[in-house]
Amino acid sequence: MNTKRLSVISLALSTVLMGSVTQIQAASGDDITVYSSRKEHLIQPLFEQFTKQTGIEVNYLTGSGGDLIERLKLEGSNTPADMFMTVDAGDLWYAGTQNIFQSVNTETIKSNIPSYLRDPKGLWTGLSVRARTIVYSKERVNPSQLSTYSNLASSNWNKKLCLRTSKKIYTKSLVASIIHNQGEEKASQVISGWVNNLAAVPNAKDSHVMNAIIAGQCDVGLVNTYYYGQLIEKTPDAPVKLFWANQETTGVHVNVSGAGVTKHASNPSGATQLLEWLSSAEAQAIYGSLNKEYPANQNIDSDEIVSSWGSFTQDKMNLSIAGILQADAVKLMQRLGYK
Amino acid sequence: MKEILIKSNIWVGALALAIALPIFVVGSAWLLPGTDLWSHFAQTLLPELVSSTLILLIGVGIGVSVLGTVLAYLVVMVDFPGRAWLEWALFLPFAIPAYVLAFVYLGVFDYSGYVQVWLREYLGIPGFDIRSGHWAIILTFVLVFYPYVYMMARASFKRQKIQMIEAGKMLGAKPLRVFWRISVPLARPAIAAGLLVTLMETLADFGVVSLFNYSTFTTAIYSAWGDFRSIEVAAQLASLLVVVSFFLIYFERKARGKAKYYSSDVSNIKAYYAKGLTGWLIFLFVFGVFMLSFAMPLLQILIWSVEVFTLEWSDRYFDYFASSGILTISATALIVVIATILALPSRRKSESKTLQLLIRFSTLGYALPGSVMAVGLLYGVQNISLISIYFAGSSINHILFGSVALLLFAYVSRFMAIAYNSTSASSEQIKPVYGQSAKLLGASRLRLIQKVYLPMMMPGILAGGLLVAVDVMKELPATYLLRPFGWDTLAIRVFELSSEGLYERAAIPALIMVVFGAIIMLIFNKLDSEKY
Amino acid sequence: MLSVSNLSISFDESQVLEGFNLSVESGDIFALLGDSGSGKSSALRFIAGLENAMNGSVVLDGADLSLNGVHSVKPELREIGMVFQDYALFPHMTVFQNISFGIDHLSKKSKTEKVASLLELISLKGIEKKYPHQLSGGEQQRVSLARALANSPKLLLLDEPFSSLDKSHRDELVKDVRSILKKQSVTSILVTHDEAEAKAFADKIGKIEKKQLFIN
Repeated sequence: MNTKRLSVISLALSTVLMGSVTQIQAASGDDITVYSSRKEHLIQPLFEQFTKQTGIEVNYLTGSGGDLIERLKLEGSNTPADMFMTVDAGDLWYAGTQNIFQSVNTETIKSNIPSYLRDPKGLWTGLSVRARTIVYSKERVNPSQLSTYSNLASSNWNKKLCLRTSKKIYTKSLVASIIHNQGEEKASQVISGWVNNLAAVPNAKDSHVMNAIIAGQCDVGLVNTYYYGQLIEKTPDAPVKLFWANQETTGVHVNVSGAGVTKHASNPSGATQLLEWLSSAEAQAIYGSLNKEYPANQNIDSDEIVSSWGSFTQDKMNLSIAGILQADAVKLMQRLGYK
Repeated sequence: MKEILIKSNIWVGALALAIALPIFVVGSAWLLPGTDLWSHFAQTLLPELVSSTLILLIGVGIGVSVLGTVLAYLVVMVDFPGRAWLEWALFLPFAIPAYVLAFVYLGVFDYSGYVQVWLREYLGIPGFDIRSGHWAIILTFVLVFYPYVYMMARASFKRQKIQMIEAGKMLGAKPLRVFWRISVPLARPAIAAGLLVTLMETLADFGVVSLFNYSTFTTAIYSAWGDFRSIEVAAQLASLLVVVSFFLIYFERKARGKAKYYSSDVSNIKAYYAKGLTGWLIFLFVFGVFMLSFAMPLLQILIWSVEVFTLEWSDRYFDYFASSGILTISATALIVVIATILALPSRRKSESKTLQLLIRFSTLGYALPGSVMAVGLLYGVQNISLISIYFAGSSINHILFGSVALLLFAYVSRFMAIAYNSTSASSEQIKPVYGQSAKLLGASRLRLIQKVYLPMMMPGILAGGLLVAVDVMKELPATYLLRPFGWDTLAIRVFELSSEGLYERAAIPALIMVVFGAIIMLIFNKLDSEKY
Repeated sequence: MLSVSNLSISFDESQVLEGFNLSVESGDIFALLGDSGSGKSSALRFIAGLENAMNGSVVLDGADLSLNGVHSVKPELREIGMVFQDYALFPHMTVFQNISFGIDHLSKKSKTEKVASLLELISLKGIEKKYPHQLSGGEQQRVSLARALANSPKLLLLDEPFSSLDKSHRDELVKDVRSILKKQSVTSILVTHDEAEAKAFADKIGKIEKKQLFIN
């Protein structure tokens, strides 16, 4: 190596370093900056539409929910973020406790989104509903055998059950709802029943659960419905079907993805405008069809494929509870060996 | 002269200390009050994950050592059909991120994958869950990490004197005995260095273990943080990883032993000729490893990419590519320059124990899971900010958070081990006599470094640069947390799509990364072969 | 005892040996003299089976080792010992491990005895536990000789063994090695470019000139 090459490299390097310091996005003027744990491919088309209609640019940074909350806390009043968006009620509730949101209680939002999908103090607003329910093999299961989440713990399903890992937040929220609805003792019986019935090590993804059912590794599982939607869109004749759980009892466990305006937003009015737009019928239609979720705005219909699965009763448990009970749910699952 | 040396030592020490900042921040978590989370973990997760982490480390360690060493030996010492192209092709698996290989393997080999479907339908073999037990994940790690050992061992075998082997032969030793008693012991430091990198990477992995739902130490770290929002306990657990790595490094140093390993120039004489059936059997084995670790996964992501190309492709890909490219190039240059400074032979001779220890500390970031290190860095900046607020009245968080500078700093802390291992190994090959003779010829210190040390260290610098480049490109957790707006990389795109189960779409950015990585490998391979 | 016939060797394009013949009697010490690039080392390495040639046959003790340029016996099975220019001692093994490398099949006790007697032969008693890098060049070459002699080879090949030693040590070592080889009556071939060294060491000298061997 010669020094010439070295100096070229160091020159290039210092340029990058200098550039990076000036790179910081000053959220200039009307722009809105969003931190989101909802993935890019699910939010970018929405923001594009918003910009088209209002002329307001939206910058976004995706990341994992926990990371972004931590970053927001550390950035404090200097944060560039005007809005924080995430995909689980537990995360929304936790973000609420960490003092990073400000209350937004506009009439538009109140009329668009029912109150049980919103934070009581208006810190965050649910924007889509995600139902977690039973999926079963059309070939090997008669739906009359199915009823509740707890029923999957019965010995009828020995070596026939596939579950997603307990590390996933959707599993944690579901178990939190079971603790809330049935008490810790009953919940622990349910979890150990599930663990005994497992046909395979819990899967990393909902899509793996359904693949395992199709391949015959197991007969029943639990998934968020939009993953079923993705599967059916790709392979319409897949031999699996959804079953609405707990219809005679508490209703299907639902979770939300949602957003709130940050406490130190530099453009709070813009962020509020975006939040209102996201709750509108137009945005809600895009929201749902992009990812086969249920709209949080009750005034509009679901996507065509989604509505073909029929209507169901939702568990109306206040979603903050999912957040409050999450740690208990995790401890329970770890104690009972649900990996 | 001596004064200059001491002064430069202080600078180098300060540099090493700065690089180790995230380690100290993570370690300082022990100063915070304990929580009852520890007793919960002790009763639930810890017993299982200690044993499964150990099994994983032992299995992967044995696997990569054997596979990497055997492949390197065959390629360097034996002439068999296809050797010439397999020699560099065996590097290519480096270009595939571990998590990509893991989801491809699960897609192909798990119960619902087409291999098992075929086995069930045509041979009637009952299906099985490859994620239960240990062997499948060990095999995955071995196939993704063997190139570390292969690369180091290959370089070492290439520099081994052919006379050593000939002497062995003339004393009646058959090929296998020559391999075990002469070649392998001589390559032991190189093998140990490759093994060390592998084990640290395995310890810090989160992507593969979560796809297999396998419990390791990182499981507890992420549980502490993700489930219980306890950054303290996560950092305390993570600092244990650092301690484990410290011991691993110690054992690696020990493995070098007392014997001196100054080696000779490269000889092109092949020790053995494998003709006929033996040659083809060797080819089949080496080719099989190449197929399984590179060609098959590449083919799979290629097929997936074609299926969804129109759906997934957009102009955004130019941005992803540019971000990945700029970050990779600048981080690599930065890391390699620093690693070279830290590893210069004069440093080794300066006999400062404190400095050696500091340099060692600066390489420990490799054992930390990327996101723990990133949060450690954020808290480090926060602490500096508090000082800045006290003195200057303003926080510096907003200047550093989300800046490329901080991200590059994270890469330096995280990947220093890789570059340093490689540069210091080549620096140790330099006999003291070269420096002495250059000094006698009146060369200044700068000239000595320029004209003698750098050219002699170049193979190590290049090899280190190559590994770092590919690692930076594949890096996910730290980039995900620290990147500035608009700096989404290919790795982030792969993660975002695959975490939603959209593997077909994730295959497109993965494919670009693999091709990009393969090109880096080929460039370096060319530079590397010019050096020999 | 040893006969090499019709050996033809070429480097790249140019042929260095053509129709080279050589025979060595049992117990003789033969010196093969030649300039650098004359092919003397290659001839030696062909006898050892380490290097290939266009043509040539080697017969040792009535056994065909190589026939018409094809090695029929592998180097490790030829029972030929070799001493290399740069000693080629295994750096990771002690002197004891080095010398006993070729006789590892023997019992621990007979190995110890054998190594001790070899060390006595080369006048370096008691250095069993040392590593090669702790020895001087001359000492390393003696150990290397002891290692080559340990399994009593039928033929010993010495490839410029003295050339990396300084003059004062060299003359002494040349004498010592010769007397050791004579004492053990080992048939040997020395390759060197130094005529004085050849005269002091060997019983017979052959010189490579015009791709052939000339015996004076």
